[in-house]
Amino acid sequence: MDKKKVCMVGDFSVGKTSLTQKFVNNVFSEQYLTTIGVKIDTAIVDETKLIVWDVAGRDSLSPINLSYLVGASGIALVADGTRPETVDDLHSIWDTVEKRIGKVPTVVALNKRDLPEWSVTPEQIQSLKERGWIVFETSAKEGVEVEGLFTQLCRLIQ
Amino acid sequence: MSQLDELRRIIVGGNADQLADLKNRIESLEHRTNDVAEVLSPAIDKELASGGDRLVESFKEPVSRSLKQAIRTEPAEYAEILYPVMAPSIRRAISQAISSLLLTINRSIDSATSVSAWKLRMQSWRTGVPYAELALRQSLVYRVEHVYLIHRDTGLLIKEISSSDTQTLDSDAIGAMFSAIQSFVQDSFTAGNDSRLTDLKVGEYNVWVAHGAQTMLACVITGDAPEALKQDLYDTLDQIRTDYSIEIARFQGDSSSFDGADLAMSNLLQVRLKDIDEKQAARKSKVPLWPFLILAAVLLFVGYHWFERKTLLDTANHLLDNQPGIATTHLFWEDDKIVVQGLRDPDAKIPFATLESYGISESQIDLRTIPFRSLEVGMELQRFTEELELPSGVYLSEREGSIYLYGEAPFLWLQHNNNRIRQLAADRRLNISQLSPSYESVSDLLEQSFSKEDLARLKMSSLVVDEQSVLVVGGQLDIQSLTILQVMFANSDWVRLNVQPRPLKSES
Ligand SMILES: Nc1nc2c(ncn2[C@@H]2O[C@H](COP(=O)(O)OP(=O)(O)OP(=O)(O)O)[C@@H](O)[C@H]2O)c(=O)[nH]1
Ligand SMILES: [Mg+2]
Repeated sequence: MDKKKVCMVGDFSVGKTSLTQKFVNNVFSEQYLTTIGVKIDTAIVDETKLIVWDVAGRDSLSPINLSYLVGASGIALVADGTRPETVDDLHSIWDTVEKRIGKVPTVVALNKRDLPEWSVTPEQIQSLKERGWIVFETSAKEGVEVEGLFTQLCRLIQ
Repeated sequence: MSQLDELRRIIVGGNADQLADLKNRIESLEHRTNDVAEVLSPAIDKELASGGDRLVESFKEPVSRSLKQAIRTEPAEYAEILYPVMAPSIRRAISQAISSLLLTINRSIDSATSVSAWKLRMQSWRTGVPYAELALRQSLVYRVEHVYLIHRDTGLLIKEISSSDTQTLDSDAIGAMFSAIQSFVQDSFTAGNDSRLTDLKVGEYNVWVAHGAQTMLACVITGDAPEALKQDLYDTLDQIRTDYSIEIARFQGDSSSFDGADLAMSNLLQVRLKDIDEKQAARKSKVPLWPFLILAAVLLFVGYHWFERKTLLDTANHLLDNQPGIATTHLFWEDDKIVVQGLRDPDAKIPFATLESYGISESQIDLRTIPFRSLEVGMELQRFTEELELPSGVYLSEREGSIYLYGEAPFLWLQHNNNRIRQLAADRRLNISQLSPSYESVSDLLEQSFSKEDLARLKMSSLVVDEQSVLVVGGQLDIQSLTILQVMFANSDWVRLNVQPRPLKSES
């Protein structure tokens, strides 16, 4: 069986861990336990074993630890749809990532679709699509588009 | 000099030069710097003297920022500065861990009373090697549990072998974690790229890692493995690197082309029991062994003698204490006699015959007992049997702690012992609910005193009155015979009369 490393990248508290856990273990927790360093899980999609690196989120104090991303076959960029600035941040995040590991297949998750505070503008989505990324509006809480996100990523890297 | 200057001179007088000097001072950067430098230190001192809270507040951010910046740019230098501070506590932690390990081993073997533990203790005593260390040397097994071949950059697991098939975690995740830890170590502790994670401890497991350019080989070990294993680890990695150099370079996540690699890895799955060299220990031995043998023989002899006497004492105690009417409190050997202390009913019998069969003669027993009246069931049984002289058909026996006197008893015997029996029953020392007079004894009595015609008019039946079975004599008799009958069974608790006077013949 083929194995591929993929990484979850984005600002802190956007739901990287929640999406991974929903996909791998089909669980969701309201509790916020920030990831320290990296957490690794595995899941099998279409005959491929995804080794999912759930990397600690970025904030003003700590940049993303780029060495965790080395060797990744694909990236899932995650933003919080109720905090529009996290969507904008994806562009700059991607630039630093690309500098380190080069161009790899990428999908985008705009997460927390279930919340009423959702405030992503069509312009924002357009700018993401212009970069060639496939954008998913996900909800880790309700399991919306979580499968789709990972399956798409898997297809891109096969 | 203009008029204006003239005017200025008149107003401010000779201070004009001073003024110019002052102006110059304010405008010149050098001057200002000198001035601030002069007051800075006293100003800080003054602020500190009055608590210094404001000062700390305003310095907090810049100091912390510059520290961060400084560490980031020169991590090696700061590591060197911090090393003397941290090294002692690291060392202390390690030595604590080791001593607590020794303690655990010591304790666990302490509690074991196995032969081997005793052997170890003796050995420790003779050779002077600390017990815990011997235990450590003998009982420590090291075993390589898992070996992982990991692609360095991606952290993908290429190959894995285990010494047991009890694998609870996902090996792919474990492989990735090794590489994550490696990245973390590299990023967090060193500026250069040449320092690598080679040892790590996870709970009771030691993990040793060998690094190649594109692969790493990690093995998970329980116990303390010898340094030689590290060499094996690198040898194996080198072998894999040469055998599979093309496959490694091309690796994209498909490990099927590494099928033979586990063969090379399998010689790392070592299990070793470290045994202490018996012969060497014996040669070093400071105390010869034979005095111990003699001591052991003496101990054995004394021990056996003591054991034999103890056994006799226990036997005597058991036999006597179980005898009705005897309650022993203390038995001991005095010269060649067994002294028995306790209580003894004068009626109680000493089971000399039984004692004899266990090798205790009558003359060996020295009774120093205090007399008492035992109401113990066994004793009572013995006493009643002697006292009541049971006729045939009547029995005494013990059931559930009570003594039963039961059966069909001759009427005259009942009459004779009636008071005693009734009294014992009232005291609840005897249960007589199943004692009854026998038919024959009563009818024998009647036959002796009455004519055949009279006897024909009487009949007998049994009846239970107040939980006591009695005989009832019923029928009709003429007045004369009836009087005789009434005298015969007057006040008898065992026979009741239900006989009517018969009309005289002459009248009919
Ligand atoms: N309502 C809702 N809440 C979500 C969703 N996804 C995540 N959350 C909540 O958001 C918080 C943060 O989620 P995490 O998955 O821990 O975020 P993260 O990106 O892993 O955060 P870091 O590890 O700190 O970078 C948690 O309290 C989650 O319960 C979602 O789809 N809907
Ligand atoms: Mg997380």
